[in-house]
Amino acid sequence: MMQAIQAALREYIAKNILFAPDGFSYGDDDSFIENGILDSTGVVEVVAFIEDHFKISVEDAEITPQNFDSISSLTVYISGKLNHKN
Amino acid sequence: MNTADYFLSHASDDALAFITADAQVSYSQFKAMCARLAGELIQNGIQVGDRVAILAKNSPFWAAAYLATLKIGAVAVPISNLYPPDEVQRTLEFAQCKFLFIDKPAQGKYANLCSRLSCFLLDKSHFQGDPALWPESDPGFDLDSDAALMPTSGTTACPRLVRVTHRNLQANTDSIIEYLELTAAERMMVVLPFYYCYGASLLHSHLRVGATLVISNTFTYPETVLDMMETAQCTGFAGVPSTYQILLRNSTFPRRELPRLMKMQQAGGKLHNALLQELAASHLAASVYVMYGQTEATARLSYLPPGLFHEKMGSIGRGIPGVSLKVLNENGTPIQPGETGEIVAWGENISPGYLDDEEASSEKFRSGALYTGDLATIDDEGFISIVDRKSDFIKSFGHRISSYEIESCLLQIPELVSAAVVGLPDEQAGERVAAFVVRKTGSTLAEQDILQHCRARLARHTVPAQVIFLPNLPLNAHGKVLKSELRKMGKAA
Repeated sequence: MMQAIQAALREYIAKNILFAPDGFSYGDDDSFIENGILDSTGVVEVVAFIEDHFKISVEDAEITPQNFDSISSLTVYISGKLNHKN
Repeated sequence: MNTADYFLSHASDDALAFITADAQVSYSQFKAMCARLAGELIQNGIQVGDRVAILAKNSPFWAAAYLATLKIGAVAVPISNLYPPDEVQRTLEFAQCKFLFIDKPAQGKYANLCSRLSCFLLDKSHFQGDPALWPESDPGFDLDSDAALMPTSGTTACPRLVRVTHRNLQANTDSIIEYLELTAAERMMVVLPFYYCYGASLLHSHLRVGATLVISNTFTYPETVLDMMETAQCTGFAGVPSTYQILLRNSTFPRRELPRLMKMQQAGGKLHNALLQELAASHLAASVYVMYGQTEATARLSYLPPGLFHEKMGSIGRGIPGVSLKVLNENGTPIQPGETGEIVAWGENISPGYLDDEEASSEKFRSGALYTGDLATIDDEGFISIVDRKSDFIKSFGHRISSYEIESCLLQIPELVSAAVVGLPDEQAGERVAAFVVRKTGSTLAEQDILQHCRARLARHTVPAQVIFLPNLPLNAHGKVLKSELRKMGKAA
């Protein structure tokens, strides 16, 4: 499940945020803020994608760097929400 | 007095100048940092009038680099760390920069810059060792010499560099301190970049009164900023419309207590009435200062006293202390209530012009006055309300339509986070009204819902002909909507 989540995130961010046809070129642990991958409006888009694709609800208070600032941390966050849902 | 000395002369050495996520910097420590960097510039042969670029995120180091540059009589050139590499290179070349202050993230992003220019890395490891001496003041210092070259946001055109003199900086800072009633007790949360005149004005005004600036570079995650405001007990916050749209509709801001928050500043474009009312209601103990300005005016031109927030809702107020604002018609005479004209400004904060652009300077700056390009009305008490940018007016079926009026109507819909309206070419109409909107996360609001809302509230000829949903609006480095990009998108669709 974790790999599927990572793959979906990499594909979405590469295509819709970075407009990178060759895919997500950063490491899974690379900080979105430090590397300029996401800004505040990009985060809103990613939240919308996550809610739509994974059918989970993201609370405003959960949008923190700990949960959101890399592919790895997002993957852990999403899988936690999915496990809780199931 | 040199502006660096002007900024540092009121502070108590023991007071905190900066709070960041991982450090607290006192004024005595900050002065030592400034001296260190002034010494670095002198050792590298930087002289009066030389241009020194700063390319880094907000930090005490950024501020020290800026003050050090001002102190030795060089000219600061703050550059956005969001620019693509070729834009940075063009700015460095155009401004003929001789030195570059850069931080580690920028050094990684703009890899080749330091091979072409003398650089200093703004990193704490470079601030160790013996404290340096602050250079002596120059009694022959020219207040009308350039202090900084500031990029202008240029929502419709390519950015230009605005010449800002020492007199401009000091005059505008004095005015801002006066109307905001700033004191050394302030703790100001700063999320706006210092390379933007609005962000810079926060730095200038709070240093001058010896207050504390709380710096956060993580507004990407607004909850971290709100947490820091609670921890640092911030008394002030400043934002542009997109900042407040996110805080009000996509964060826990309205539900946070923030008992020390006393002043909320809003500038950088129009925050529509529906959101202004939400902002005021979110923290009843805090005053909302609606303000207006331009980079060409150093930062600020007008403000609306918080006491008149509800009575004059939607107005940008009147000129700040030391600034004269008039609204003139095409013949150059003041308009009457009910008419529309262009805002024109006079004051010691008005820039002498753009760097190396005589044509644009002569268009914008005439006989010492700044022609803002903003169209406005004025009431019988002299309170000004902006109708639109001259260049953003929509001309449809012979009508001149204000995009602001339609955006204001759209933002009454709680499910919309932001909206921008432009005119798109139309064979029949000349231009048709197109609304670009961003829905709140999870919203299923449809085009017909939006059009129905508009039809019930707007004159028929101003109802959008089409609604285009976007995940977000294109913003420039200052957070302003790039209507030129929306027009391109609309034409391409």
